[in-house]
Amino acid sequence: MEQFIQLLISGIAQGMIYSLVAFGYNITFSTSRSFNFSHGNFLMLGGVVGLIFFINNQVPFLAMVLAVVFVGLIMGLILYKTSIEPSLKSKSNYAWILATLAFGIILKNIVEVFWSTDDFRFDSPLGNAPIRIMGIGVLPQEILIIIVAICIVVAVESFKKYTIFGKAIVAVSEDKHTASLMGINQQFVILFSFLLSSVIACLAGVLVAPITMVGATMGTVLGVKAYAVSIIGGLESGYGVLLGGLIIGLSEAFTARYISTGYKDAPGFLILILVLLFLPSGIFGKKIFKKV
Amino acid sequence: MKKIIYGILLLLPFLLPQMVDNPYYIQGILCRIIVYAMLVASLDLIVGYIGDVSIGHAGFFAIGAYAVGILTSTQELNSDSSMTWFPHIPFFVALFIGVLLTALAGFILGFPALRLSGPYLAVVTIAYGLLIYTIINEQEYLTNGTKGISLEPIEVFGVKFGGSNYLYIVYPFLIMVMYVIHNLTKSYWGRAFEAIKYSEVAASSCGISKSYYKIWAFVISAGIAGLAGGFFSQLDAYVAPNTFSYNFSVEFLIALIVGGVQSILGNILGASVMVIFPDLFTKFNDYRLIIFGFSLLLVLFFMPKGLAGFVNLIKKRFTKKKDGHYIEALIERASAVKLFDELKENNDQVAVQLKDLTMRFGGLVAVNELNMTIKKGTVHGLIGPNGSGKSTTVNLLTGIYPPAGGKVQLFGKSIIAESTYKRAKLGIARTFQNLQLFSDMTALQNVMVGMHNSFTSNLFSICFNLPKSQKEEKNVETKAFAWLQFVGLEDIAFTEAKNLSYGQARLLEIARALASNPSLLLLDEPAAGLTAGEIEKINILINKIKESGISVLLIEHHMDMVMAVSDEVTVLDFGKKIAEGTPNQIQNNPTVITAYLGTHETSFH
Repeated sequence: MEQFIQLLISGIAQGMIYSLVAFGYNITFSTSRSFNFSHGNFLMLGGVVGLIFFINNQVPFLAMVLAVVFVGLIMGLILYKTSIEPSLKSKSNYAWILATLAFGIILKNIVEVFWSTDDFRFDSPLGNAPIRIMGIGVLPQEILIIIVAICIVVAVESFKKYTIFGKAIVAVSEDKHTASLMGINQQFVILFSFLLSSVIACLAGVLVAPITMVGATMGTVLGVKAYAVSIIGGLESGYGVLLGGLIIGLSEAFTARYISTGYKDAPGFLILILVLLFLPSGIFGKKIFKKV
Repeated sequence: MKKIIYGILLLLPFLLPQMVDNPYYIQGILCRIIVYAMLVASLDLIVGYIGDVSIGHAGFFAIGAYAVGILTSTQELNSDSSMTWFPHIPFFVALFIGVLLTALAGFILGFPALRLSGPYLAVVTIAYGLLIYTIINEQEYLTNGTKGISLEPIEVFGVKFGGSNYLYIVYPFLIMVMYVIHNLTKSYWGRAFEAIKYSEVAASSCGISKSYYKIWAFVISAGIAGLAGGFFSQLDAYVAPNTFSYNFSVEFLIALIVGGVQSILGNILGASVMVIFPDLFTKFNDYRLIIFGFSLLLVLFFMPKGLAGFVNLIKKRFTKKKDGHYIEALIERASAVKLFDELKENNDQVAVQLKDLTMRFGGLVAVNELNMTIKKGTVHGLIGPNGSGKSTTVNLLTGIYPPAGGKVQLFGKSIIAESTYKRAKLGIARTFQNLQLFSDMTALQNVMVGMHNSFTSNLFSICFNLPKSQKEEKNVETKAFAWLQFVGLEDIAFTEAKNLSYGQARLLEIARALASNPSLLLLDEPAAGLTAGEIEKINILINKIKESGISVLLIEHHMDMVMAVSDEVTVLDFGKKIAEGTPNQIQNNPTVITAYLGTHETSFH
């Protein structure tokens, strides 16, 4: 029983990491029908910048977080200008997938060439000693991840629901043309969504660093799994990522324990395929009637 | 003459193993390019022709490679492995089994691809690739896990084909694969792929079954990827799982785009860049992916047709356009074509009968218990203010929407259970209010898509361009040209649909619909946005169509036109039928006047 709860908690923590990264896909998909296919590499950049500032140079924690946010903003802007804006203008409906893939490949390769190809430890400022409650050990970092992930998702969703600018974002995702007729600057809303998504990815990088180690490849698998999470929950839903994250995180934890670590990713991807076979736009996705 | 030169050029590589002494260049570089080119070409079928992004082709490649690896393995070469099964069967038998297995995997992937597109399909392809990767990694007793399988060189009738000689094996297959893909994509199959890519609705209205062609495309693509994989296993006589990662799929996607989609030349160029580039600049190998990434961005936004597009641009300067002889011959042949086929003798005097047809969108009732009869051989007008349910009625008739209730009968037979493409086969053709032409195809090709159901050649005869399919293609082209003449568009037969004027595009839609030899033609606002002169042309066309015996349902806002050509008119308002009768009766019906102009009180106060 204790082991079961232990697995439950680490599964949830892992799932919330996926949810947080996946949320970045949803934010931009709703406004622009596109997202950053190399989101995982943005996460990696956040982790690397965090490591350089906080561990290597002993910069205060908060200052490091600010630096990471700043890097996220800059990268989001560059991504938007070089990959998203031209893709949305082009007629091809998959240009954005390839353009953001290319961007991520460049980013990862730059980190490898100019920084390092090794993995580094990132000690959590909260310490590495697990907190014991009734025989169940939980890392403080895991608790932090769960809290921060849920807070960010709730905060952004509330922002969309209760503020006027948030409503503009919703308007653009519902109907671009009508939104721009209402005087909403559609380009700015899309840019904003990419900046927000990049910042969240970079922060997620710092957040997971103590658990995964920091290195140029840390984001690739995370990015792909978060992508699956996002699709399972529904790319157009906000809170759907939380459920998607739980599904993948828990299936991983339990498969690794009870079947084999080598197969831990398999059930999640099988669930993904099954969900899409029956619900083509994810669990919380909307069914769209195509107008002819 | 040209063919002979091409033939000699094609044979040249066979001499290379004799001329170049260094097996590194032949096996390490040239054979690798050949194998990768096959994989890129298989990816092109999905990305270029079907228009879906696959990031899982490494998985298909892996199945092919491992099928050959496992089936030809011997105990001597893998003595300290964890493998327990060494079938040691001949290479080509193993290759054949590998291709079958991969084609099966492609078949399975085809199903989700039917309902999904864009990022939703891309993630499924990634999931497939990763699942295959995981299985290969974990089934150690079959695959030896991460340590991989060592293979012995191919031996056919005692002759060994290792080293430079491997070219003799792979090169003929490359030619065959490219020949088959070339024929396939230039045939009615290729046009069907293209049609589905541009507009699924228009394609199914032309009688193209999306499921059939999409699944076949995945099967063929996977089969070719598996073939390439099988050959790959012999390049280094060794296979290991880490080759077939997610990054491998991504790199091939880049190679495809950089080389140029929908082009055999592009496939080969893309594969060459991928193989030669790192070899040429070993010093810059660390920066390889940076350069790859940048070249992908550049190609995407500045050279959408890739390197092949660039080469073709240069080639175009030195070659002439479609020559006059070809067009003259086409005109000559078209003059002998009889356009309207004999309509099937049908005693039923009713073409279409709608009974209590109802459609709801959420709470909105778009069509409300509509009863309507279109008599055979007549023009039936359907009018009503905006939003009264006219286009919805057309979409219900063609099966694009499933109705909430009611019946649809075509010549006395219920067609409610049939899908859109089947209804097209049964004789319903349509045009679209918002034009749905296949924009990158020429006007002639658009009409040929309309004639999709008159093709009977099977896949085999298409892939090898057998005389039967050549003849059929020629006949259809001739008749398609005659249809263009019928609507007066023969001068722009070889112009791409996206470059047509608005009026020409509307006429082309009619030609495409007529070409399917329908018994019922649905014209959804054919005169919208046209000038008076162009409308007059359409009036004449409609009368000609009616004379041929085809029944027509005409939706239109131009009242002059509807009243001039219709035998009977039905008026809808808020989804309900408010009047029906001859044009004369309708014009004097007070309910109709109210619906269009409002009542006396509301319009003057």
